[in-house]
Parts: sequence; structure tokens; C-alpha cells
Amino acid sequence: MTDQLLELLTTYGLPALFGAMILAAAGMPFPSSLILIAMGSFVAQGELSFWPVIFAGASGAIVGDQLGYAFGRYGGRPLLAAVTRRIGGADKVEQAEAYSRKWAGWGIFFSRWLIGPLGPWINVTSGLTEYPWVRFIVLDVAGEVLWLLIYVSLGRAFSDQVQTIASLLGNLTWVIVGLLGAGLLGWKLFGRSTEGSDDAA
Amino acid sequence: MTRTRPWRKALIALFVAVVAFTGYHAVRTVSDAIYWNAHRDEPIERWMTIGYVAHSYHVPPHVLHQALNLPPMPDRRPLGRIARDSGRSMTQIEAKLMYAIVHARPPYPPPGPPPRPFMRPASSTASPAK
Repeated sequence: MTDQLLELLTTYGLPALFGAMILAAAGMPFPSSLILIAMGSFVAQGELSFWPVIFAGASGAIVGDQLGYAFGRYGGRPLLAAVTRRIGGADKVEQAEAYSRKWAGWGIFFSRWLIGPLGPWINVTSGLTEYPWVRFIVLDVAGEVLWLLIYVSLGRAFSDQVQTIASLLGNLTWVIVGLLGAGLLGWKLFGRSTEGSDDAA
Repeated sequence: MTRTRPWRKALIALFVAVVAFTGYHAVRTVSDAIYWNAHRDEPIERWMTIGYVAHSYHVPPHVLHQALNLPPMPDRRPLGRIARDSGRSMTQIEAKLMYAIVHARPPYPPPGPPPRPFMRPASSTASPAK
């Protein structure tokens, strides 16, 4: 499927980029970094212009992010309310929401460009926890434009090795996500171990 | 504390899994960086255009146009499309391109200048023999 998608992109250019970015931001498993780096390479070869690529890509991604947010807010939230009414746990949900409000801003901004794979999830949880929409969209636009600028520029600069750069950035992104996950888990596990549980593990 | 033990075990297992996952991608990041630094040729894929392959392999595009018996005009179709349109398999296309690329690089003499546009491609020297 990746092959066909990339073929469509090379054939139809910016409209296809816009569409692919909507679907990728809404959570479809598209190789969006490879797409952007390839677009950067086409810019370097003079087949596309830089700013239209940035504009088409960023606006597609921003539209897709709103879909995720709306899904969380208007689809997920009533569902969550129904569940908590039945089995309880509304206090836990409130706790999670407070936690999310505190950290969501950073999450929204960094999941646009540094830890991209988390983006679609954070869109939904932002909607689910009713993160203020105006703030969401401001952080979203800033992050997505930054993402487009970084990836398309890298594709333009290293335009003859698109697949290698995309693979490198993909792996590097997972390293960052992994370090973040390991850090959080490690803190939860061993940061509290001073309270008396065994350190032998 | 005993009640939390299973949770703790599960978390430790998860932690180990996440560390292993991170390590795996760290190794792959380093190997990509080495690959990038060594500037090895990338495999030819369906989505690439002739222009991109020429750009990536540092050969003049007309050599590749000739290799695929295409007229010497800019052609922005991806290779997968070219394969479908001409009823050839991607493997055939790739083989022809690779043959032309190898013969356009040292130790072979550099390829000649591009033919005039709109000229029918003669059964040229760059066109690979079967």
C-alpha cells in the first residue's frame, strides 16, 4: 500500500500531499516522513516549489489533527461518560484530565514533529479531555509547520538519499519515543523504590 | 506491598521491553547513519521517477530514458506507472536501469550529451542488450 500511495504522490503532487497528510494525521499508518523527505527532494530537483509544499502539507496535517480532536471530543467523551456512569471511576477520569491539562500542551507541540508517532493519539486524548480548542490549534499549527520545515528541508538538502534519511529519522524518532517511555516507566518503578520496596529486582 | 508485586513485575517487564525496543532502534539509527555517510546507492522503488533515480545515482537522466526506450523528454511518471503503461514488470525496469547506470559510471567512459528533444530514440548504445 505504501508503494501505491507514494506512486500517487509522485503523479499528483500537492493535492495528493494534502490528502495524504489529512489521513496520516488522522491516524492512518502512512509513511509520512518518507513522503515529506521525498517532497523535499522533488523541490531540490526543481519539480515542486518549497513554500507550496510546506503550505499543502501543513494544512493537510492540521485538518487531519482537527478530525482526531473532534473524534475525541464529540465521539469519545460521551462514550467515556456513559462508561463511568455504569462502572464508576469518574474521579479517576477527572484525575487523568487534570494531569492531561497540565502536560497536554507540551505533548501537542512535540508530538507534531519530534515524537510524531504519538500525534494521532494525542489529538484524540486532547479532544477527550476537552483541552481548549484555541490553544490546541495554536500549538498544532506551530508544531506542524515546524515539522514540515524540518523534514522538507532535510529532503531538499540530502535529496539524493531520500530513503536512507527517512529511515534514519524514523528510527531516531522511535529512539526518542522509547527513551521517553523508558524514562517515565523507570521513574515510576525505581523513583519510588526509596519508599521501601525491594531494589533487588 | 505484596498486592502491588504483580503490577511491579508487569511494569518491569514493560520497562525491559521498552529498553530493548529503544536499543534496537538506536542500533538501526547508527547503521542508517553509516549507510548515509558511505553514500551507498538506494534500492530502486516503484514510487521513484526517472528524474529521482538519475539524481540519486548521479547519472544524466537521458541515459535512463534511453535505457527504457522512452523519448528524451521530461517524464514525471513514477516507475511503477511506467512499468504498467509499458506492460513490463518492475524487475525488468529495475534491471534495465541498473544496467544503464553501471555503464554510465567509471570505469566506463562518461555518457555522451543528451539527444535533441522530440527525436525518436535511436537504437542507441546505452540501450541494454538482452
